[in-house]
Amino acid sequence: MVPEKEIMPVRIKFTKLGDLMYISHLDLARTMQRIIVRSGVDIWYSEGFNPQPRIVFALPLPVGVESTCELMDFKINSYMSFEEIKERVQRNFPREMEVLEVYSPEVKFKSIAYADYTIVLHSPKIQADTADNVNSLFSKECIITKKSKSGEREVDICTFIKSLNASAQNGTVVINTVVNAGNESNLNPELIVQAIAKYLKIMDSNSIDEYCTIMRNKMLDEELNEFK
Amino acid sequence: MQKNISTILKSVQKPGRYTGGEFGQIIKDKSKVDLRIAFCFPDTYEIGMSNLGIKILYGALNEMEGVWCERVFAPWDDMEEQMRANGVPLYALESKDNVKDFDIMAISLQYELCYTTAVNMIDLAGIPIFAKDRGEEYPILLGGGPCAYNAEPVADFFDIFSIGEGEEALCELSQLYIDMKKNGTYSKQAFLREASHLKGFYVPSLYCVEYNENGTIKRFEPKYEDVPKKVEKRVVEDLNTSYFPVKPVMPYIETVHDRIMLETFRGCIRGCRFCQAGMVFRPVREKSAEVLNAQAQEIYKNTGYTEISLTSLSISDYSCLNEATDLLLDWTNKNKINLSLPSLRADSFTKELMRKVSGVRSSGLTFAPEAGTQRLRDAINKNLYEDDLLNAVRLAFEGGKSQVKLYFMNGLPTETYEDIEGISVLAKHVVDEFYKMPVRPKKPVQVTISVSCFVPKPHTPFQWEPQDTLESLVDKQRFLGEKITDRKVRYTWHEAKVSRLEAVFSKGDRRLSKAIAHAVGKGMRFDAWDEHFDYDKWMTVFEECGIDPSFYANRRIGYDEILPWDVIDIGVNKSFMISENKKAYESKTTPNCKEKCSGCGANRLGKELTWCPKKK
Repeated sequence: MVPEKEIMPVRIKFTKLGDLMYISHLDLARTMQRIIVRSGVDIWYSEGFNPQPRIVFALPLPVGVESTCELMDFKINSYMSFEEIKERVQRNFPREMEVLEVYSPEVKFKSIAYADYTIVLHSPKIQADTADNVNSLFSKECIITKKSKSGEREVDICTFIKSLNASAQNGTVVINTVVNAGNESNLNPELIVQAIAKYLKIMDSNSIDEYCTIMRNKMLDEELNEFK
Repeated sequence: MQKNISTILKSVQKPGRYTGGEFGQIIKDKSKVDLRIAFCFPDTYEIGMSNLGIKILYGALNEMEGVWCERVFAPWDDMEEQMRANGVPLYALESKDNVKDFDIMAISLQYELCYTTAVNMIDLAGIPIFAKDRGEEYPILLGGGPCAYNAEPVADFFDIFSIGEGEEALCELSQLYIDMKKNGTYSKQAFLREASHLKGFYVPSLYCVEYNENGTIKRFEPKYEDVPKKVEKRVVEDLNTSYFPVKPVMPYIETVHDRIMLETFRGCIRGCRFCQAGMVFRPVREKSAEVLNAQAQEIYKNTGYTEISLTSLSISDYSCLNEATDLLLDWTNKNKINLSLPSLRADSFTKELMRKVSGVRSSGLTFAPEAGTQRLRDAINKNLYEDDLLNAVRLAFEGGKSQVKLYFMNGLPTETYEDIEGISVLAKHVVDEFYKMPVRPKKPVQVTISVSCFVPKPHTPFQWEPQDTLESLVDKQRFLGEKITDRKVRYTWHEAKVSRLEAVFSKGDRRLSKAIAHAVGKGMRFDAWDEHFDYDKWMTVFEECGIDPSFYANRRIGYDEILPWDVIDIGVNKSFMISENKKAYESKTTPNCKEKCSGCGANRLGKELTWCPKKK
């Protein structure tokens, strides 16, 4: 066994773009284990009956959402430079996945409080006033039905939205928004699109995925500084 | 096209099945290749990506510089609906190009119940399903896989079949295609005629079939003198030097066999009389422990998998097993890689093997006695004694396992109700073995018996046998259920209706293509999936096509009849098959190939590395 002090924590920031948005969090987790193992990085395994390469992700990305700011942590049993880890992992990434940065984690994932998303709507039913309507829709209260494992409940999603600004751009509506993220309180940005579908009726609520793209840009801490 | 695909992917289940882009996929410049092959698997991505044969052929073909081979899997019904609604034809995962624009559309036929899915894929590609309706503008339809040993039910849909092991044969076929294109002699007809001269290729349109009034075959002959009367299957002579994929495509989504699959040997020394694989893959050819270990290390480095499975038809018959597992365990344990040995035989299960398989992660153990009494096990040439099984389960229990799974078959030739009751007795004895031990695992014992229905298969000693009627199979399942009273025994059985349909297609002839086309027209596909299987609908299809399924499934065939699959030569002589069939009725066993050569004839196909005696 390697003494605890020699075990070295590693954080990797990476992208998940294009067709990779269709890969679920669970599939990504399994894929990532194999990527790290085949990279030859001496990753620390969990102990017990079923030892697994242990990787922790900052914030699961919903299916259908792309990202330029994914974070994951793992530990390695023996020293390797961050540059070498970056080079090895990048070589073993599939297309559309890029290592942006490898560094030593200083802050724990639990201090993530918000996430910054860009949502682009491109329904043919978008009107000149759609962007304004979106802004006013989220200005005070917006009740939608949230489905979860424990059943359905009505929630006001505005209580999860820190800021939101919609603007019209070349026939599309671009929404920049910062919403609650993390273990305590979290909003799936798709619910914003669902609310738009429900109240503004610019798209069929069963096929909202076809009329929007969602990108996660940043994770933020309590003070709205970028989480690293 | 690309845009359409990504729009519809948002509204289907498991879009990861349809995106491609995985690590290890092969991308080539299409303007720089001479031959593009769409390698199609007529089932879901998860099943197809688990198939070792596909990995081998994908890799071997892409090793050829002028060839780009891409993967295509059958879209599930939600995706198909979206594709048809949005005018997206069947496309290949790597380039997303339409399959219709490829030079060769190859379809792997792994089991009979994928026939409708296979034909539907042709249709979804926008290609006429019948070979006779396809002109030069369409790809060559190439079939292969285990079902090609009797491809007659789908013969009318395909231009050519690869018979036997494909890694060398398909490369030769590809080279022929490229050469004929380059020297200007290519036309579809000329190519097929030329290909029929290559060893291991069957071009069904070059043979004429006539039938007797009673429905049996009267004449089955080549139309031209230069076309071989019999097509001899291909075998790879030396597994140590033949191509093996060490950089497989890494799926994102979980597949059925999501691990390193290491092929240890081909063929089987045993000769169970019901088993098609045991006959068609003869002679036995082994890979050396060193080559196996080197391949394992290479694949581990390229994949990062944490499980290795040693594949074969019967792993404990691998003569280098101890050596190979020692070499592997030396580094797999250190790297926390689990080693699994499926297809263990009870009579060669040792304490040492037990120790080796209970490495990093623990799982249950499975054995296949196939029949409940010694008499019936002798009739099917299983060559397994009850003591062997009890000995094996005792070792498993001593090693801390408490769950054992046993495979059996109902409806085997010569079976009586006494044999069926024997299954419940044997299961009880296994449970008793657990309680005989002074120190037992903490977990309570559970013996699962999984009972399938016998399907007579072409190229086996039981090929002339009728399948039990559906009523009889169902009654046998009910009877066994009543005999199992021990609560430590869990009983599962296969749907007899599925097995009956398998029997129809496995022994079918060319006249069945009409029924398959009709079924596809009715929207039938994925017949191997419970949610899609519809027996009554199939019976209606047969009725509407004037086909009597019992002619194929439930009729005893005479030794002198011309069989639809006689055109295929698997290397085993018919006289051996007949003698094996007769011995079944006397409950006489035949020694395995290691003990004594029984002269089946397959030794003429292999080289020194087989278990067969050297050629004279």
